[in-house]
Amino acid sequence: MRTSSLIAWSVWKALFLREAVARLSARRAAWVWILAEPVMHLVLLNVLFGFILQQVVSSIDHGLFITTGVLGFFLAQNAAMRPKDAISANATLLTYRQVLPVDTVLVRAALEAVLFMVSALFLFTGLGLLGHQVFPHDFLQVMLAFAALWLAGIGLGLTLSVASQLIPEMGKVAGMVFRPLYFVSGVMYPASAIPPAYQSWFLLNPFAHGIETVRTGFFPQYHTIPGVNIGYLLGFAMFTICLGLALHVRFATRLVAQ
Amino acid sequence: MIIVDEVYKRYRCDHGIGKWVLQGVSFTIPPKVNVGLVGRNGAGKSTLLGLIGGIDTPTRGRVERRCRVSWPMGFGGGLQGSLTGRQNAKFVCRIHGHEEDLPDRLRYIEDFAELGDSFDEPIKTYSSGMKSRLQFALSLAFDFDVYISDEITSTGDAAFKKKAAAAFKTLTDRAGLIMVSHGEGILKEFCTAGIWLHEGRAYWFDSINDALNEYKKCPSR
Repeated sequence: MRTSSLIAWSVWKALFLREAVARLSARRAAWVWILAEPVMHLVLLNVLFGFILQQVVSSIDHGLFITTGVLGFFLAQNAAMRPKDAISANATLLTYRQVLPVDTVLVRAALEAVLFMVSALFLFTGLGLLGHQVFPHDFLQVMLAFAALWLAGIGLGLTLSVASQLIPEMGKVAGMVFRPLYFVSGVMYPASAIPPAYQSWFLLNPFAHGIETVRTGFFPQYHTIPGVNIGYLLGFAMFTICLGLALHVRFATRLVAQ
Repeated sequence: MIIVDEVYKRYRCDHGIGKWVLQGVSFTIPPKVNVGLVGRNGAGKSTLLGLIGGIDTPTRGRVERRCRVSWPMGFGGGLQGSLTGRQNAKFVCRIHGHEEDLPDRLRYIEDFAELGDSFDEPIKTYSSGMKSRLQFALSLAFDFDVYISDEITSTGDAAFKKKAAAAFKTLTDRAGLIMVSHGEGILKEFCTAGIWLHEGRAYWFDSINDALNEYKKCPSR
């Protein structure tokens, strides 16, 4: 007899490999796109906003400035949106009673973290070779902020995965909400560029705290606005993870039953 | 041993709660007994197999498995269309905790399924016969105490049916079998006991012949 934890571990390993194969062989040369997509996004943003940023944050390497924002935001977005659809994508595997819906969600989030690390390493190596100063001045703070963004993404993913199974429209609404979040999370502008009257609104968005914290950890001369607090994002992550897990327990039978 | 105790089951439909599929089903399957499940289409045979296999939970009542029970093998379930037969086989081996002897199990599955080069092609290119070959090979690769088969033996060509029957025969020496089939011959060949599902209730017969007779006697409305 295998213990529950042993079964869960072997399911996670098997699902992880399965998801990785599916992601990397989905299209022709899918792994090229996984690396190239953020690069093209960054090049585009640099062309569009590089000139403006030169005026706003003149003391900071604006290529790296955009890179940190884009990486941070996409980490949270992918950790939320990919796991959101994990249950329906893996419905056939629920035939095996060892596989629980929550396993598929957590494994997708873990895969996103691995893909993030690979593409971040690729980007920073590339930028380093191009002569940018890619070593953060406070490495631990940058890691903490990225981890917090990822955890907040998982929390949303867990919650939305149940919500979108129960109410299919929820999934679409979540996708619509995430798009404008990109513009209000400070991906391509510094928080200090926001008029003080609106800064309290800006700070309601937990992801903005994460992205600003990544930047203060990265650039010693970067000035953020008062009120930016990684604890706010971590609290949000903790809350959504607990909520998501509770939903998974509460609706365990509903998620499996047809 | 499998104990099914006062099991009620109904599904949730698009428009509220559906009607009862199973209403107070109780029986005990002793170890190493082969049971055939008969009943009309929609009588709840697959539902009951799903509950015994643990992929669904009863609305009321409980199902207790005091042995290792396979997943319900049936039409294309449990196979991921975009992945190859080999990748699916690896996945199933891994979740059953066979990481170390993975190559041996894979070789067994590949040999038994006789899919040739198609073993490395995506499942979505398979015919239904090929799928059931693979599923059959997959389930035989593990040592379960009870195998659950949902019409799986009725697919496949003549040669494979023969091979599957032979494999099932050797299985029955060491394990039990719960099968759904509309083939009377298959049921009589493999099963000793029978369960007749009718109007949400289950009737146990120690002989499959009695179950089949009762099932045929009942006028279909």
